[in-house]
Amino acid sequence: MKRPAAVTELLEELKRLPGIGPKTAERLSFFLMRGSEDQARRLAQAIIHIKEKIVLCSQCHSITDKDPCEICSDPNRDRSTLCVVEEPHDVYIFENMGHFKGQYHVLMGVISPLDGVGPPDLTIDDLKRRVEQNNLKEVILATNPDMEGESTALYIAKLLKPYNVKISRIARGLPVGGDIEFADSVTLQKSLEGRMEL
Amino acid sequence: MGLYKTPGIVLRSMDLGEKDKLVTLMTEKFGKIKCVAKSARRMKSRFGASLEPLSYVHILYFGKEYQTLYQLNQADIRKSFQHIRENLDKLYRGLYFVELIDSLVTEGHPEPQLFDLLLEGLETLQEGNDLEPLCRLFELRIMAGLGYTPRLDLCISCKLDPGPGELGFSFLRKGVLCGPCTRKYQPETRITPGTLNTLRRMLSIEIRNSSRLKFPRGMEEEIGAITRRMVLAHLGRELRTYAFIKNMALV
Repeated sequence: MKRPAAVTELLEELKRLPGIGPKTAERLSFFLMRGSEDQARRLAQAIIHIKEKIVLCSQCHSITDKDPCEICSDPNRDRSTLCVVEEPHDVYIFENMGHFKGQYHVLMGVISPLDGVGPPDLTIDDLKRRVEQNNLKEVILATNPDMEGESTALYIAKLLKPYNVKISRIARGLPVGGDIEFADSVTLQKSLEGRMEL
Repeated sequence: MGLYKTPGIVLRSMDLGEKDKLVTLMTEKFGKIKCVAKSARRMKSRFGASLEPLSYVHILYFGKEYQTLYQLNQADIRKSFQHIRENLDKLYRGLYFVELIDSLVTEGHPEPQLFDLLLEGLETLQEGNDLEPLCRLFELRIMAGLGYTPRLDLCISCKLDPGPGELGFSFLRKGVLCGPCTRKYQPETRITPGTLNTLRRMLSIEIRNSSRLKFPRGMEEEIGAITRRMVLAHLGRELRTYAFIKNMALV
């Protein structure tokens, strides 16, 4: 039997979401059909709200509902330290940790030569401007420790070298709770290079 | 279902779904293959740094013969080429090498000589400092490895020694043209006898000895125009990484 057109439409839209295949889309659509109309409206409204109310912060490029964002407009944050991350959701990962009190800069991606993504496609020019205009003491490069993240960090470090600012890179090496037995040579080498005196 | 073991070099590594990676490798025994590495993006993944592009790894993978996507079981690093990754000039050239191989080699066809070329190219890039001659040599040798060695001993038209004076080079017919044939056929590019001699030498020199190639001023551009246009004429498009090599010089 053919599905009603409204169900097919919902299935098609759900399947577009990351990590959702045909089976999951079907399960979600039946869950929504069984639920109340009020519940469906709330979900639809929440989706519309993120498109209507969420903007990118003009300073750090993180997602926010007011510009500048809460972190950029907070006078209690340390304005001399800037943490450079790849994506807006990385800001929330750092904020959930609760130890970093500085400000952020979101690159909106990484330099990826194999995908043709270069510095003009990112917010690197804005980062340079922030370093020029603000009295920054340290820029922490917190891109992923993969090839693209490392090369982006190297590029930014080279670009910001002429400015009187400390440029640091987040530590790389063994994860907490990991096992040396299963560590590969590169990870182990990085953990030795980044060792700390106790 | 078969279980395969081979050395390989990681050409590309892309995110797949929430936790997996889709990895393209140039292997010594089975040519270019694509594998899914399950849970490779997790912080405590057993693959660790082994699936980063340029890594020379020993892999264990399984799947049905002649299928296009295999499952990666294990990858142990033999050489990480860490020094290349820490130098942007070298990194972009290393990525240019892997993009050349990825674009020009077809999947599932063993090409051990091209695997050796890539490995030797990366090893030389890691150790050496003369990056431009190495890139030109790699371009020429990859085309030769694919069966497109340009004819440089005799004129491709009249089959006589090209001799002195201004010569021509035809990308369509892949070879040198003597003076009279150059005037007759008006090929795309003109070259000097010095460039022709250097190109001849480039066909026989070992990649690891690329530092012995010294391009005099002016000849570097002429040779670059020929080797790069040979690749362009074959591929029909510009490689993405090439722009990065050029732009890096401006930073």
